[in-house]
Amino acid sequence: MQISKLLASRSLKRRIGNLLMHGLILTFLLYLLFPLIWMISTSFKTTAEIYSGIPSLIPKVFTGEHYLTVFQEERLLKSIANSLYVGIITAIIVVMISLPAAYALSRYKTAVNKVVMGWILTSQIFPAILIMIPLFLVLRSLHLTDTLSGLVLVYVVWDIPFVLWMLQGYVKEIPIELEEAAAIDGASQTQIIYKIIMPLLLPAIGAAVLFAFISAWNEFFFALVLLKSPDLSTLPVELARYTGIEGQSRTGPLAAASFIATIPSIVLFAILRKWFSSGALQGAVKG
Amino acid sequence: MQRLISWILYYKGFIIAGLLAVLIISVYIAGEMAIRLESDEIQTGPLRFLSLAWQEEAVAVVQEITQDWNQAHPEQQVELIQGTWNAVHDYLITGFETGDIPDIFHYESAVIVDFALRGYLADLAPYISDEMRDDILDVNWASVTRPTGAVMGIPFLAESSIILYNLDLINEAGVIAPTNEDPWTWDDLHIAAKKLTKDRDGDGVIDQWGTAMGLRNSANILMNQSIAFGGSFFYYDEQGDIEVRVSKPEKELIGNLARMLFVDKTMSPSGVGKSGAEMIPGFLAGNYAMVVGIGSWARQQVVENAAEGFNWAVMPPLKAVTQNMGVNTQTLSIPRSCKRTAIAMEFIQFLLSSENTTRLAASDWMLPTRQSSLEDPRLQADSTGWKVVTANAQFLSTGPWVGLPGYIEWKSRVANPIFQEFFSQRISLDEAAERIESESNSVLARYQVRGLKW
Repeated sequence: MQISKLLASRSLKRRIGNLLMHGLILTFLLYLLFPLIWMISTSFKTTAEIYSGIPSLIPKVFTGEHYLTVFQEERLLKSIANSLYVGIITAIIVVMISLPAAYALSRYKTAVNKVVMGWILTSQIFPAILIMIPLFLVLRSLHLTDTLSGLVLVYVVWDIPFVLWMLQGYVKEIPIELEEAAAIDGASQTQIIYKIIMPLLLPAIGAAVLFAFISAWNEFFFALVLLKSPDLSTLPVELARYTGIEGQSRTGPLAAASFIATIPSIVLFAILRKWFSSGALQGAVKG
Repeated sequence: MQRLISWILYYKGFIIAGLLAVLIISVYIAGEMAIRLESDEIQTGPLRFLSLAWQEEAVAVVQEITQDWNQAHPEQQVELIQGTWNAVHDYLITGFETGDIPDIFHYESAVIVDFALRGYLADLAPYISDEMRDDILDVNWASVTRPTGAVMGIPFLAESSIILYNLDLINEAGVIAPTNEDPWTWDDLHIAAKKLTKDRDGDGVIDQWGTAMGLRNSANILMNQSIAFGGSFFYYDEQGDIEVRVSKPEKELIGNLARMLFVDKTMSPSGVGKSGAEMIPGFLAGNYAMVVGIGSWARQQVVENAAEGFNWAVMPPLKAVTQNMGVNTQTLSIPRSCKRTAIAMEFIQFLLSSENTTRLAASDWMLPTRQSSLEDPRLQADSTGWKVVTANAQFLSTGPWVGLPGYIEWKSRVANPIFQEFFSQRISLDEAAERIESESNSVLARYQVRGLKW
């Protein structure tokens, strides 16, 4: 009887614990989602409602006027295309370079490994503003200022250290025994990489692609300074033009354009989501 | 050797992938460089004009004027670059340092002082036509002219501080609004604010404030308003050295605001952490009967966003000792590194002709710097407050901080944070005054050591 009471009380405690945990998770999720929800809500409100000073989550009257305004502005569409181009190319190049480098750094222990990893961490210390002028001068001598390629090059260099650091951590997690087993079965190094390691690294590659794309997609300062021609402008730079002096802004179009700006990241995450499924390694090595 | 070959054979997959990556990147960049080199050769060299107009209407006017120029001057085209107020400083600083700077750029007089002191700007004085020189008000020229006579930018719009008021609420409370001929004093404002502060729904909480003011970055407005009290925060001694003092006139101004905020409780405390623009929704919602110390541009926000039937108007500046106020102008400048200063200046004169200045002022809802534009009937409409705003031009005055090296740093690093602390009631007025004086003079001393002189 006492045992059943004890079990019942434990089960109750577990339920309460679960409830509290889910409550906390839900609160945290709402905290994270609220700015996005508010932005979407604002983008569908009439200008009068935005300025009414009465906060409401659901617009009194739904309007698409701000989206219409945004899509009528040719430059914004152009800037979306530019940002997509820069983001995709950056993500591809970053992963192409970082993946083999991460594998080499984590699998082949040489004297330079520590130096390389130390340098990767050190490179993260410098703020963009500090390197902007020398970077600009170098790019200008290469005739790469005011080009999307120059911007891609900067993003690639900027993103590689973090992606490399992240990927080599993932590679380290893959048991070496898997490679050894494949080698015993007669697989070449290339086969081991592409048939054994790569599938296991898909979540990491997904994360790397997402990181590289989003950091390029959202980046403002390099794009502002390096690109001068209006036709080359990227989305974050265009969005900044919806704000004016002394805290003024065109809030409706800004919310609509900002929502549009988040869509590619959401879509990319949705596509790559399945790659993030964990547990691929569970049971891969016995014992 | 055999070891190397076997190593290469073992890692051939890696090596091929790596070489492929390098090849792709090299071809990509080389292709881009070739295109650039080619385009550099065929570049006919349009002048690059960085505009900070951002409102739809203002952007359209700038575009139209630039197109008109391009049609009239096929031999010297102008490329319009749309800048952004939020990041223009970084953009220009890197541009000056690297030499890749637009030929003409839009900014404001308080900031171009620092650019001028660093030798970045061309002297435009020799290129200014007599017509333009005579038509732009002296007070506006004073904001951009060095004691040597060198002109660092052409002022075309001036910021003028106004008071917006809700006509219906004022009428309902039986308050008689001031006119240009019969302006209010600060005491009049206090009396009216008391009448207009109400708990409309009887729940014990005030829901209609007599006044509101965006105080987040209050230094600018306090500087400009202090002139009406006979103050200025900055004082020159007999040797010509500048000193910051928060003396009786400055304290009187700040004390008036503090009285409404903390004693009378007729000014909404929500303004302490907000900018002027952020006060507009509350004004349109009827939460504030008057918005004090806001830029004349705010009228545009009201016109565009007010619900139908919302009645509003603009008050003339409050009278302290005088109604004078400091001025900050928006300017067009040319970098010293520009190789085509004369033609760039020709474009500026075209852009800022009397007609175009009127159009620019009307689209940006700001005070034009030209006398002829101030008199233009398009800027005299009563319903949108233009009549009061244009009359403000007579009260514009040049503060002693104009041309002061380090003024921008002083404002952002000393004055704004201390005023913020004061209005949040974390320090007293005397403490604020003491800290402003001690911290300011150390910041300004650094600039004096550098020997920078306007």
